[in-house]
Amino acid sequence: MKYLFVNSATTNLVVAIIIDGKITYLYNENDGNDTSAKIMPIIEEAFLKSNIRPQDIDKIFAVNGPGSFTGIRVGLTVAKVMAYALNIPVVPISSLEVMASGFDEDVVALIDARRGYVFAGGYDKDLNSTYKDSYVLFEKNKFNGKLISFDNFSFETFKPKLDLFKIILKHENDDGVNPHVLNPNYLKLTEAEEKRLYDGRN
Amino acid sequence: MYILGIESSCDETSLSIIKDGTVEVSTVVLSQMDTHAYYGGVVPEIASRMHVENITIVIDEVLKKAGMSMDDIDAIAVTYGPGLIGSLLIGLMAAKTLAFIYNKPLIPVHHIAGHIYANNLVRPLEFPLIALVVSGGHTELVYMKEDYSFEVLGGTLDDAVGEAYDKVARVIGLPYPGGPNVDRLAATGKDTYDLPLPLNDDSYNFSFSGLKSAVINLVHNEKQRGNEIIKENLAASFQNRVTEILTKKTIRALKERGVSNLIVAGGVAANKGLRSSLKQACDKENINLTIPEIKYCTDNGAMIGAAGYYAYAKGLRADLSLNAKATMELK
Repeated sequence: MKYLFVNSATTNLVVAIIIDGKITYLYNENDGNDTSAKIMPIIEEAFLKSNIRPQDIDKIFAVNGPGSFTGIRVGLTVAKVMAYALNIPVVPISSLEVMASGFDEDVVALIDARRGYVFAGGYDKDLNSTYKDSYVLFEKNKFNGKLISFDNFSFETFKPKLDLFKIILKHENDDGVNPHVLNPNYLKLTEAEEKRLYDGRN
Repeated sequence: MYILGIESSCDETSLSIIKDGTVEVSTVVLSQMDTHAYYGGVVPEIASRMHVENITIVIDEVLKKAGMSMDDIDAIAVTYGPGLIGSLLIGLMAAKTLAFIYNKPLIPVHHIAGHIYANNLVRPLEFPLIALVVSGGHTELVYMKEDYSFEVLGGTLDDAVGEAYDKVARVIGLPYPGGPNVDRLAATGKDTYDLPLPLNDDSYNFSFSGLKSAVINLVHNEKQRGNEIIKENLAASFQNRVTEILTKKTIRALKERGVSNLIVAGGVAANKGLRSSLKQACDKENINLTIPEIKYCTDNGAMIGAAGYYAYAKGLRADLSLNAKATMELK
């Protein structure tokens, strides 16, 4: 089986191709700026170096959030359009789970969501959820496990680690989502929607 | 040659298949206007979210409507700016992904060039010409000596004309989108209010924020005095100032450049007051005026597919690193 993996939701940009259980291409860099310019040339290189065509891919694993709203959309648009055009399944993956994948202990992955809020998700060593991916006010005693993040906080966190095999193993048999209804999981309304809800209550 | 045109620079997700830059094979426009109307204007983050939700549905529809597959498409043209960056990115990423999968040329199209080439779907452009581009985001006078050659003579220094319409509409209590509502109301009113003719100078630039402020102040002052505003008269007075200055500078550009073809493009080209003012002036000066039907005035993929054909003929190509630009000059 041939898989494409795409994650542009966080500053950690990941593009990978996995063929029959072997990683034939991996881009895994914390340089998630200008992702919209970089990602397609990287994907092109991924196919070239793996010696396959887009038409050979059986399934796409695409991170659909949480994270940077624009970042999520860039990678997810590529995954949606590719899955639609090639008529193949696409499996949504949590960015927080990707961050937690490289650990053999309970961790809580955090993304800075500003004003004291975080996107947080807890996972055990087998990537079972221990704290549902959420948008929450950060309070240290809320979470059990090692705190991991790419962002800088006023408290100590560890750098996330990627274990692509663990993610693929866990989700290999997940049902694919129809690309028309595969959408970002922002975990947060837009400010305009929040304000409208707030004004509606008052 | 069949070009797939992709447009997502603001609040319309639109794709179109255009043959040889002139024939519209199929077009799908998914407008978000009803959603943004709740907020009194386009909310960029909501627009971006809706584009990503709709993009594959629109691709699927435009191909089905044409009875074509991606293999029948020769090139992909996409708006890469100017516009809302988050919105632009969805159409751009979709275009790049399709270009990559199907190994098709990718043509970068400037949004304003698209608006201008909407006219080519009505009748072939005749050169040299002056294009007046008026919309919610743009107000520009452009000189073209030949296909896909643009010289911007002037533009707005502050608000785009459509933006001024939306703000004035809000002040006099008309719902979003303001332009068509002010236009409708103006048709029933008289030009009785003393408003300034904005930036009435020798340049080809425009400025509408002063006129907008004059309307706001007038409404405020009348309220203070306990006077009732005659809305239709205020709409008519505002609209007359706008159409007068647009017409005046456009006609001057035509005369000074010795050009006898005028095309009008952009959402505000649907404005009845502007249409009739330009028509009168062009009849008087013996100028060929082309204003496309309303469906080609608002944002759509057809205009991008049409412009893309001429951009392609000029040799314009982009690679997969093409990025979106919120602002950029038309060259």
